[in-house]
Amino acid sequence: MTERSSPLSLSRRRLLVTTAAAGAAAIFASTTSFTPALSADDPRKGGDITFLIDSLGDTWIPNNSAISSFQGHIWGHVTDKLVYVDADGKVSPWLAERWEQNDDATQFTLHLKSGVTFSDGTPLDASAVVANLDIWYAGRKSEGINPIGLFPKTYDHAETVDAATVKVFFKKPTLGFIPTLGYHGSILISPKTIAAPAAQQADLSKTSGSGPYVVDSWKEGDFVTLTRREDYNWGPAAVGHTGPAFLDTITYKLVSEPSLRVASVQSGQADIAYNASPQELQSLKEEGFTIATPRYLGFVNGWAINTKLAPYDDVKVRQALQASINRQEIIDTVYTSDWKLATSFIQSNVPGATDHGDLLTYDPAKAERLLDEAGWVKGADGIRTKDGKPLSLTLHSNPYLATSRSIDELIAQQLGKLGWKIDIRAYDVVTYGQKVTYGGPAVPAYEVTRSFIDAGTVASILTNANNGENWFALGESDAKLNELRDRIAGAGSVEIRNPLLDELQKYVLEQGYFIPRTQIVQRIYVQSPRLTGETYNGVAYASYYTATISD
Amino acid sequence: MSLVSSYSVSRGTTAGWLTAIRMPPIVAISFAVVVLVIAWSVAPGLFTSYDPVNGVPAQKLLGPSAAHWFGTDHLGRDLYARVVYGTASSVSSALIAVVIGVVAGGVIGLLAGFLGGWVDTVLARLVDVLLAIPKFLLAVIVVTAIGFATTNAAIATGVSAVAVFARVMRSEVIKTRQATFVEAAFLLGGSRWHILWRHVLPNASRSVLPLAVLQFGDSILVIASLAFLGYGDPPPASDWGLLISIGKDYLKWPWLVYAPAFVTIATVLSVNRISRWLRKTD
Amino acid sequence: MRNAYLTYAAKRLVQAVVVILLAYVFTFVVVSILPGDPITNVLRNPQNGFTETEIEEIIAAQGLDKPVLVQLSTSLSNFLTGDLGLSMRTNRPVTTLIAEVLPSTLVLASAGLAVALVLALVIAYGTRFLPKRFGQGLLRDFPSLFLSVPNFVIGLVLIHAFGFQLGLFRVIQPDSFWATFFAAIALGIPISAQIAEVLIANLDHESEQEYAAVARSRGIGQMRLFAKHLLKPSSLPVVTVIALTIGELLGGSLITETVFGRNGIGSLVQRSVTTQDLPVLQAVVSLAAVVFVLVNLIADLVYPLLDPRVKLLGAPERRPAAADESSVNVSKVVTS
Repeated sequence: MTERSSPLSLSRRRLLVTTAAAGAAAIFASTTSFTPALSADDPRKGGDITFLIDSLGDTWIPNNSAISSFQGHIWGHVTDKLVYVDADGKVSPWLAERWEQNDDATQFTLHLKSGVTFSDGTPLDASAVVANLDIWYAGRKSEGINPIGLFPKTYDHAETVDAATVKVFFKKPTLGFIPTLGYHGSILISPKTIAAPAAQQADLSKTSGSGPYVVDSWKEGDFVTLTRREDYNWGPAAVGHTGPAFLDTITYKLVSEPSLRVASVQSGQADIAYNASPQELQSLKEEGFTIATPRYLGFVNGWAINTKLAPYDDVKVRQALQASINRQEIIDTVYTSDWKLATSFIQSNVPGATDHGDLLTYDPAKAERLLDEAGWVKGADGIRTKDGKPLSLTLHSNPYLATSRSIDELIAQQLGKLGWKIDIRAYDVVTYGQKVTYGGPAVPAYEVTRSFIDAGTVASILTNANNGENWFALGESDAKLNELRDRIAGAGSVEIRNPLLDELQKYVLEQGYFIPRTQIVQRIYVQSPRLTGETYNGVAYASYYTATISD
Repeated sequence: MSLVSSYSVSRGTTAGWLTAIRMPPIVAISFAVVVLVIAWSVAPGLFTSYDPVNGVPAQKLLGPSAAHWFGTDHLGRDLYARVVYGTASSVSSALIAVVIGVVAGGVIGLLAGFLGGWVDTVLARLVDVLLAIPKFLLAVIVVTAIGFATTNAAIATGVSAVAVFARVMRSEVIKTRQATFVEAAFLLGGSRWHILWRHVLPNASRSVLPLAVLQFGDSILVIASLAFLGYGDPPPASDWGLLISIGKDYLKWPWLVYAPAFVTIATVLSVNRISRWLRKTD
Repeated sequence: MRNAYLTYAAKRLVQAVVVILLAYVFTFVVVSILPGDPITNVLRNPQNGFTETEIEEIIAAQGLDKPVLVQLSTSLSNFLTGDLGLSMRTNRPVTTLIAEVLPSTLVLASAGLAVALVLALVIAYGTRFLPKRFGQGLLRDFPSLFLSVPNFVIGLVLIHAFGFQLGLFRVIQPDSFWATFFAAIALGIPISAQIAEVLIANLDHESEQEYAAVARSRGIGQMRLFAKHLLKPSSLPVVTVIALTIGELLGGSLITETVFGRNGIGSLVQRSVTTQDLPVLQAVVSLAAVVFVLVNLIADLVYPLLDPRVKLLGAPERRPAAADESSVNVSKVVTS
């Protein structure tokens, strides 16, 4: 705690983050400077850190828990992936050293790094990768092992060519396959663990991965302690280090109160507090703590509008809604300047995202005009009505985002001034899952918090083609949206796809199908300045594989 | 605490408490607090000019001052206004809990004690089950089943108090039944229900009433605890328990916890004080 | 006599088993009212991106769409054979989950009870024997004050004052001595008030009794009088109160564990409740019922030992009745 505000360590962290985000040339340049042969007396080696987290999730069956916003932290250290996706969506080799695909993107060949082993001694070879691909796709449903939801449903099968080569076959073109391998669901687990029954997989200490750390001990709802794996030597080149990790142990400790997590880090009792309240960040920064608000690759936080439900079947009402929200005030009130205004319905760091901020400006006069035109007349009580019905909007606060309620309250104030009647419903996670769905009969606006790895998958999520999620309840009724979807799915290269993506973003925002609120930061880290050198991947998880701690 | 009250409930003297005019100053203060709380819940608009729902975002997290007695919250809303406007819900939910406990528990105890036999046996088992599950655990499970909302938390709190009221009511009914005047009424050929209504109920309810007053204070605390654990109303509701629960996320601005906590404590303490004074002067 | 006692004991035991089974069924019914369970909960996490049809498919594959009655009978017959099943949330055996967290709660509950007893004795003795000007009246107000403060507020204040301001304990190590000590205080304070009230009421009564007067006239010191003559008989209803506060200790630990971040039965319940993990909730409720029934049985056995004036077979006819009678006895005692 003596060097709480050392500017040196701060800048070094920034340097590392920037490095991770830079292009391939920069990566290799920095690799040489950051990875001297790691000897036992490396001064950077050693140290124990404590990470305070608000939950440790539910089951530890790898397939069911990998996408958990909490358990993902542990999986990120205990397991590896085939490819690495950095904070800017750039895909780079990891355990797959290189890959090829056929012209219509239905067959992929993965060439694996050799000499990689799981912590139970099993080699991570082609047959292990096939076992993982199979369980990601199908799960073992009768046993309670779920498939990985976002794994391409077009998967057919995979086969081993030799010990280090896997060939993967798809029923339809699947351009998104390689990026998906870097998604947080695609963690590689030992075939021995995969073969074990569900109840055994649920015991985290019995699960083997190939990551730089192994589980030392754990207790349900309490803590997980990881220790370094000394023979680890296959880190992703993109983070600038491939040998064993530096820190001896990482302990994830559950502390459910956000204020207690922060206060513990402030008083030097722990090193990282996860999900601090945004209100506290400014003063923490002034005290010299490192604040990280990495944005994941995905949709911004906002509403998918149910176009089946009156009055949101009227494009003018949707457009009025788009103009009625003062997004800057949300950032000023609920968040800090670390948050960014939405410029599209996908985060601005996603490759292919384009700036449509002009469509998202706060324009109350325009909103009032549109509502007047649509026939919604302001009554004496300030609420607009049409045919005796009030202009109402029911908001269901998203339980997966801590600030959701506060934002809903603030938006309710903003919309209230323009004549909206707002109801806020806040359900627990279980009830929310049951009652609130896209296009649900009582859900005019579904609050989206969703990451994805490849923007190419977006269009098909929005509509109901190919088992899509039909976010706006449009079905097949919007010809333009369908056309864009099909052209994006069929695009053979990024150069063809990007202009189509741009058109899609503009169209969806103009139509008021999606009402962005702010760019989303679902993971907030408050970190002791003693700890430096961590990296953040494309899904905003912090990895302490490259981190070091000073006294 | 309801347990305790069943021990210390006094009876026997018929002198009404109204005859006791001498009121210690602390009791007078307690009455003043309760009157103020009732006034807050009936006409909150008279006590503050601030809007409890819409704040001034630019004035967020201000400390207590002459303009904002309890400071402002994370959305720039006046905390005093939120406390005042949250009173109605806090008080009425505690009332709902008491009514459920007294009515359901009372009916069960009355039937068990008065009818006896298999009715008593069946109801006794039911009460046993409710007693065997810790009160707060029971409330948590019930509120989960019926959904998170302040009214539901009140219902759950009421359900968890049923067993205590049933037990006290039953023993009182049995005692009254055996009293000479009731025996006499039976001998004179009075109908069972008439005797129940005219003799047993009034006598038994006399000892249930002070317990109900205590239960009111207890219910405020239980409902606040449920809100603290996140089983209360969605925003922008401002029940006292919810305010404390929201405030605990902003411990750097301690008034967000201490102001609503102080109001809660003062109210419950006053209610307890009054109930004790009532018993003493009974 | 002995035979009558055995019959009574057997009857009590059967009733106890019935109560525990009913508690188990009660929990099932209450929790099953709502649709939803931990498995669908995981499936519906928006990050998963499952569609409604896929979710239905997975649920059907696991047999979770069976009628409620079938599920109840399966679960009940497993319970009768001692199999508490697998937690739906974690996929791990319920017995393992409970065994992991039980020690922490036992430590907290016993420490909380100890704090409550010490505080109650201090208050009761102080109220009785402290000279007026040394705050006797103030002490008398403690129980009602203690009963008016939400225990999560006590917990928050203690954590802030002793954990952060004074740095007496590390908040992230809730099982350390001082952390446990302050958690026990937060848990024990409201319970001490209940015990103190009973103790005071009975001290008042006992000291009016002749033998106290006799003892006093013989010049016995106040302290010895309190300890030897008054505490023993007046602790009789206190034993009953302690037996009944076991439930409060468990319920209070639900909040205290949350506030202090302890991983015990209470926080297990919290996690299970929010995900509707039925098997765990059923097991915890049954466990609480077992503890309640056992403790009350023990209280009944201890009762005659503490006060020879209580006849062994006279009072306990049936537990709730016994509790009623004792409460009525006490209240008579208080008012007489």
